[in-house]
This record gives sequence, C-alpha cells and structure tokens, in this order.
Amino acid sequence: MTDAAVVGATDTAEPTMHFHPQPRPGTATPWDFPAPAREVLPNGLTVLRCHRPGQQVVAVEISLAAPLDAEPAGLDGVATIMARAFSEGTDKLSAEDFTAELERCGATLDAHADHPGVRLSLEVPASRLPKALGLLADALRAPAFPDNEVERLVRNRLDEIPHELANPARRAAMALSAALFPADSRMSRPRQGTQETVERIDAASVRAFYEAHVRPATATAVVVGDLTGVDLDQALADTLGAWTGSPAQPRPVPPVTADDTGRVIVVDRPGAVQTQLLIGRTGADRHDSVWPAQVLGTYCLGGTLTSRLDKVLREEKGYTYGVRAFAQVLRSAPDGTGAAMLAISGSVDTPNTGPALADLWTVLRTLAAEGLTDTERDVAVQNLVGVAPLKYETAAAVAGTLADQVEQHLADDFQARLYERLAETGTVEATAAVVAAFPADRLVTVLVGDAAEIVEPVKALGIGEVTVVSA
Amino acid sequence: MREKQAIEGTYMPMGHTAAQRAGTGGLTATEHRLANGLRVVLSEDHLTPVAAVCLWYDVGSRHEVAGRTGLAHLFEHLMFQGSAQVKGNGHFELVQGAGGSLNGTTSFERTNYFETMPAHQVELALWLEADRMGSLLTALDDESLENQRDVVKNERRQRYDNVPYGTAFEKLTAMAYPEGHPYHHTPIGSMADLDATSLEDAREFFRTYYAPGNAVLAVVGDIDSGQTLAWIEKYFGSIPAHDRKQPPRDGRLPDVIGRQLRQVVHEEVPSRALMAAYRLPHDGTREADAADLALTVLGGGESSRLHNRLVRHDRSAVAAGFGLLRLAGAPSLGWLDVKASAGVEVPAIEAAVDEELARFALEGPTPQEMERAQAQLEREWLDRLATVSGRADELCRYAVLFGDPQLALTAVQRVLEVTPEEVRAVAQARLHPDNRAVLVYEPTGPQSDAADAQADENAQEQETAQ
Repeated sequence: MTDAAVVGATDTAEPTMHFHPQPRPGTATPWDFPAPAREVLPNGLTVLRCHRPGQQVVAVEISLAAPLDAEPAGLDGVATIMARAFSEGTDKLSAEDFTAELERCGATLDAHADHPGVRLSLEVPASRLPKALGLLADALRAPAFPDNEVERLVRNRLDEIPHELANPARRAAMALSAALFPADSRMSRPRQGTQETVERIDAASVRAFYEAHVRPATATAVVVGDLTGVDLDQALADTLGAWTGSPAQPRPVPPVTADDTGRVIVVDRPGAVQTQLLIGRTGADRHDSVWPAQVLGTYCLGGTLTSRLDKVLREEKGYTYGVRAFAQVLRSAPDGTGAAMLAISGSVDTPNTGPALADLWTVLRTLAAEGLTDTERDVAVQNLVGVAPLKYETAAAVAGTLADQVEQHLADDFQARLYERLAETGTVEATAAVVAAFPADRLVTVLVGDAAEIVEPVKALGIGEVTVVSA
Repeated sequence: MREKQAIEGTYMPMGHTAAQRAGTGGLTATEHRLANGLRVVLSEDHLTPVAAVCLWYDVGSRHEVAGRTGLAHLFEHLMFQGSAQVKGNGHFELVQGAGGSLNGTTSFERTNYFETMPAHQVELALWLEADRMGSLLTALDDESLENQRDVVKNERRQRYDNVPYGTAFEKLTAMAYPEGHPYHHTPIGSMADLDATSLEDAREFFRTYYAPGNAVLAVVGDIDSGQTLAWIEKYFGSIPAHDRKQPPRDGRLPDVIGRQLRQVVHEEVPSRALMAAYRLPHDGTREADAADLALTVLGGGESSRLHNRLVRHDRSAVAAGFGLLRLAGAPSLGWLDVKASAGVEVPAIEAAVDEELARFALEGPTPQEMERAQAQLEREWLDRLATVSGRADELCRYAVLFGDPQLALTAVQRVLEVTPEEVRAVAQARLHPDNRAVLVYEPTGPQSDAADAQADENAQEQETAQ
C-alpha cells in the first residue's frame, strides 16, 4: 500500500532529502529494577526504602491490610469513606487546617480502598518530606473522623454514584463484576459501595472499621525518591514510628470463584453513538508460574496499537480509537493463591458493533489455531523489557509497584526477576498462556450501548446468550 | 501521553523553594540551528539510561481554515502511517521494538511528536523523525487517510460525544472566542469537516507546515551532545528548507469580553453543572503568572476558596475548581467547573462563586494562600521535570511559543516575583461576570448518562494513541 503511493510524491517535483539506512543500536547500559531496603520498626510497621538520585518529588505509599471483604455486611463503601476521611483532620489540626498544611508542603495525598486493602499515596518535594510524613502519620495515628465531615463525605459519595453509573467504562466494569462473581462475594459489588450501603455509613462505623483493621503491625510504608540529605531514620522515628497499635492475626483470604460461561450482557444506553465493550474472565495472578508467559501473550494480543486486536480493529477497519487486552490482579493471598481479571476493553462505533465483535472473535480463534509467531514474541519481549527504565523513571512509579508487591504478598525482587523470566519465555509458552487466558467460548461480554441497535447483530455472532439490562 | 489537566502551571524552581539541590536547578540546555532552519535544543542528564526525542511543529488547530477543522490533528495521525523508508505502522513497531514509547499530540498552538528511548536507541528515533519530516508524502495514500479518518471520528465519539459533559469545553471555547477567531474551534474538529478532508488537503498541509524551519527538536537525557548533534545533522541536514507558511490569523482580542455570555444545555447528564470560561492574559506575560496564582488560590485544590465554600461549607457541589489553559497567541482561558450536589439549583452556586470572586478581587490572597499556591505550582513543575520527556517538552514549548528555550530556566523565578497585589489586580480586572462565557447543564430524562467529573479536561489536546 505504501509502495504504490511513491508515485504520488513525484508530481511535486521537489528536491528530496538524502536517505540513510536504519541505524543500529549502540551498546545498552544495564538497568535493574530498584532493590528496596526492608526493615520493621519497633512498632511493627514494615518500611521499604529506595534512593532514586534526581527524583526530587518523593513518593510515599502506605498499604493498610484493610481489605474490602472486611467491610461489615451492608456497609460496602466504609473502607472508601475511611480512606477519604484520613485527610479530614487529626488530634492536632482541623480538617481545613490539615489540608492547608499539606498543600503548604507542596504535597498531594490520595487515598483509596480496593480488594487487597487501603492505600494512601503521598507525593512531596524531598526537602519537605519530614513535615509531610508528620502530617501523614498524624492522620493514621489519630484521625479525628469528625461526625460532620464524615457525613459530608457520605453525601458527596452519594452524589458521585450517578456520575459513575453514567460513565460507560465504569458501568461496564460494574456489570462484569456482577456477572462473574457470586452475589455473596464482595468482588461482585462496586468497590465504593452502592446508594443503599453508603447511606448507612456514619462516623461511628468509620471509626469501628479503623479500630478493627488499621494498625502499624499490618501496615507497610514504601518511601522512594532522592533521599540525599534527608535523615529518613530520624524522620520515620518521629512520625510513623510513633504510631502505636495492637498486634493482629492475619485475616484469612477468601478464595476467588467466577462463572465464565460464555454470555453477553447488554447495558442499554439508548442513543449511544458508541458501544463500550468489556470482555473478561478471571485467571492466574502473579504467584502463578504462567504469569510471565501470560504477560507476554496478552501484550501480543492487545497490548498496543500494533498488537493483533488493534491491527485489525483500528488500523485496518477503523472501528475504534483503540482496544486493549490486560491482566489486572484482583487479590492474592500469602499462600500463593489468588486471581487476576483478564479482559479486553475498548469502544467501537454503534453501527459497527457486530462486525467489530466478529473480527475480535476471529482474532482470538486464529490465535488459538495458529499461535504467535517468533517475531511477535521477540518484539514483545524487547518492548516489555526495554521500556522498564522509562516506565520506572519517577519515584511514584517505583513506589507504586513496590507497594503492589507488598499487597500481593510477593518478594521485593519480584519485578526485577520478572524481566529475566520474560526474556526466558518462548513463543510456545506465550501462545499457550494467552490462549488459556482468553478462550473464545469462556468469556463474559459486557456491552454498554444502544440495545435497539446492537442486540440483533450480537445475537447472530453466537458468542453466548444475550441479556439486556437497563442502565 | 496526554496532559493531565487544563492547568499548565509549570515553572522552574529557584533558590529558596523546595528544589535547592542539583538536578532540576542544574538543568542546562544548548541551542543549535541547522542550515535548513531546524532549531535544536540539547540537554544532558546521565542519571538514568534513557533519552527523550521531542519534536514540536509550529502548527496547531489555530492554523486551520473554515471547513477543515480537525485537519492538524488528523494529519498528526497520518504521520504514523509510514514514510519513504518506514513501512505502514513502522514508526510504532520500530520504537516499541527498541524498548521505547512514543506518541503525538495536537493543541491549538502546536503539534508535537515524541519518543522516549533507552539511551542506546536514540539514533533510531532521530532517523524515524527525519524520515517522516523529509518524505511523508512518499507514503501518504487514500487508504491511510480513510482509515485514520475513521479512527479519529471514533476518538471524537469516545472522548467527547459518548460521555456526559463531553462537549462542554468545545461549547465554552466557541463562546469565549468569537466566530471567525482562530481559537473558536477545538483541535478535535467537527465530524462534517473530518469527512470533507481530502488527500490533497493533507498533502498541502504537510507542504505548508512540516518544514525544518517550522520545527524545534529537543533531545534530553543520557546523551553525548556532540554525537547527538552529528546524528541530527546527518539525518535532518539534507531535508530541503521551504517556507510556504503564512502566519496564523491574529488571535488578539480586547482584554475583557465586556458582557456575560451564556448558554444553557438541557441534556441527559447525571447532575446540574456550572461551568465558565474567563478571558485571561496571554501566556508569557507577568499577568498570566499572576492569574495562575489567583486561580490556584481560588480553585486549585482542596484548600482552595471555592472548594472550602461550595464543597465543604455550603455542600452545594460535588466538585469545584479552576483550571488554566495557557495560550500564547490568544487570551488564555480560566476554566471554572462545578458539579452540583443533588437538589441544588445553579443560581445558588453561581451567587456563591460570584461572592467569593468579588471578595478575592477586593482583598487579594492572604500570605498563607500565596505560599500554598506557589508550593503547589512548584511541585507541578518538579513533576514535569521528573522525566526526560517532560523536560524535552518544556524546552520545545519555550522555543516554539516564545522563541527562547532558556526562558524555561527562569520561569519559576518570574512567578515567585509576582506580588499578592498583582494577583489581586488581575482578579479584579478579569475574574468578574462581564468577562466570562457561562455554560449551565440542566439534566433531562432518566438519570443515566454521565462521565466522571474530569471527562472533558483533555479537550484542548488530541493525541494519536490511547
């Protein structure tokens, strides 16, 4: 297609540049994923630290073993409200003063609750790290959880729910979780609760959740950045080290079960100009030996614009701005069990929903029948391994990955070792892993779109029973 | 990569603030110019074995003509469809296969392309950029155009048309910049104009704007400047100079709109919303820095006046804040975005906003507010500098828009020289009802359609890949 167009340029009769052959790469400088130093403070808090020269914005990740399945029955969302309420004042500062002091440090503090636990993420210029750590420690050690501020957070959360339900991607994720997991599993329900459950949350329930699940012995702090000239030992001793709490028994982790019988759920949005698609099931987490092969195979299927899905759906057909395949760990247990969500996500224009899904299934079936090529595998390894120094340039990226490893009960060198394992993974293993991860007949398909336009073409595809629910 | 927010408050650190040590404070850049007019900026940093190649073309949606909105962005997509020595999707394949990442974005004022590479692969990125700058038309064909036209239309649907409030920025822009003004339309363009664009339009666009003299190339990171410059000369040096470009239509406007413009939209959105665009000073002026500080104090974070008033005290809003879209060739735009709490009417919110703005115009910021605003803007700048690609982009920005990349080195100093009185004065002059375009959303039908509150933040910039 490009060769034929060479003629097109000749009519311009313009002078042309001098062409050179494609250059060969220079000698690669070795790069390793940073190795953190691990210690346990006298109060039981685990600390991982990692010096990254030049990274002047220091990232601090706090991981609390307060998982969503620990929320009391009927109070879905209490972990989220607690996470948000950490910045609503302490025993020393009012809610407004606490926020103002954090911003005076040039800091940001985000907090959210997910299946493995609650995470707080602090970013602050290195010179103001001790002061910001003091504020963070006060929030964890002595949160005020004032009645009126918690009530405001609850109302605010209720006001957010209609916005989430109306977001096609969020709505699709909720529908997929509801379809995959049994109703008594916390994973089947929205992470941040529903109207019905959030309404019941108050300061007392937030405090009860805090007292039951937040203590230094089950928390980890990850500190990453340019620590030159920062006396981190002293700063930690003065702040997070002064937090006290009782020891705790590890919580049992409930097993993850999912029903991946091939079927289609259409969430009706009359008049939608696009269909949001989310096609998924559950599969291996990082503890499983198949993980590197699954990462590699999933990248070849839908990791980027030149992967198999976008090669057809975007670059050949123009049905979409982009479709991605990914694996996202849901929760892992210390014993090495756990699960990840394996999914394909994107949006396609409404009239082409049927044809796009037909092509998508053809891509999956062709992959299962013919496998990946060695070239595909090689390019994928070169990218996944090669981008590591780019991907982990910032302190926040390193801290986030280290905290994920802690939360998923992995060794601190998991990511560093993963690059070696990816390089050792062959084409046959990657093919087997991705075909097992995305079997054409064991996928739950959620389509958020105009049911009147898309149901009939989707039924004709034979990818499972089609159910329509209202948005 | 897309900009995270409309706030582009990015400043260099200076002595007495958080960034006292080497690193950002020690950032230096050298400038060079090839015989064909290509400007080059180089900056070495050997801490991590990565390097960024960033190429800004001085062309954006403001250069588009009536009936061809969206062309600059559509063209940016075509730049990834191959050139003389690069087949099909080769730009993506070669860069990703070398362990790099890449993208392109289009805004009102410029189009940029960037590759972040492991340091030993930087020559490949230079070769690829030179190949398409010098020979894109060799490969450009109808098949690519038809395909990328469909991709861009789906990008428009995904990011704007299929999400609640998705077209808010487009509506505000159309009000704030009058009919016929080069910034009246946003970079994504209209479906009709995208449909109407021909292969010849694309070819002419390339011949006009994709000239070495209309571009700035920055290479930042673990590089040897001498070797890098030699590669640049080798690959870009023979690209013929040409100068067909006409200056963009004049974007200057009176300092204030002079009256309140207003549009009420009845749509299926999850909550009422009050948005507004205020006309602000041009980027590159001391008044623009003062306006940035004013918007930060008023609506830049959870200790801002509007957040405290509307979200915390009145409880009339789910979220309330200000963003700043800095523009060099037209007045900048201060963008107010308030999503109402259930059952709250817009006039109550509007009255509170006006009261806060009027009080601020009278009293100015407190010393504590100035300190917080400066600390926040400084951290945003440090975040931009934390990556080689962020640094390369800043150097290109100052080179293209203000003619001097070195201005990046003194930017934060300029903002710290701004006095509270200047912040008050710009608020008094600009942040009042007679200088704004207001957009009100009133929900219709079942409560079912919406996006998260930030859905339209990226509207000022388009990109090639997700």
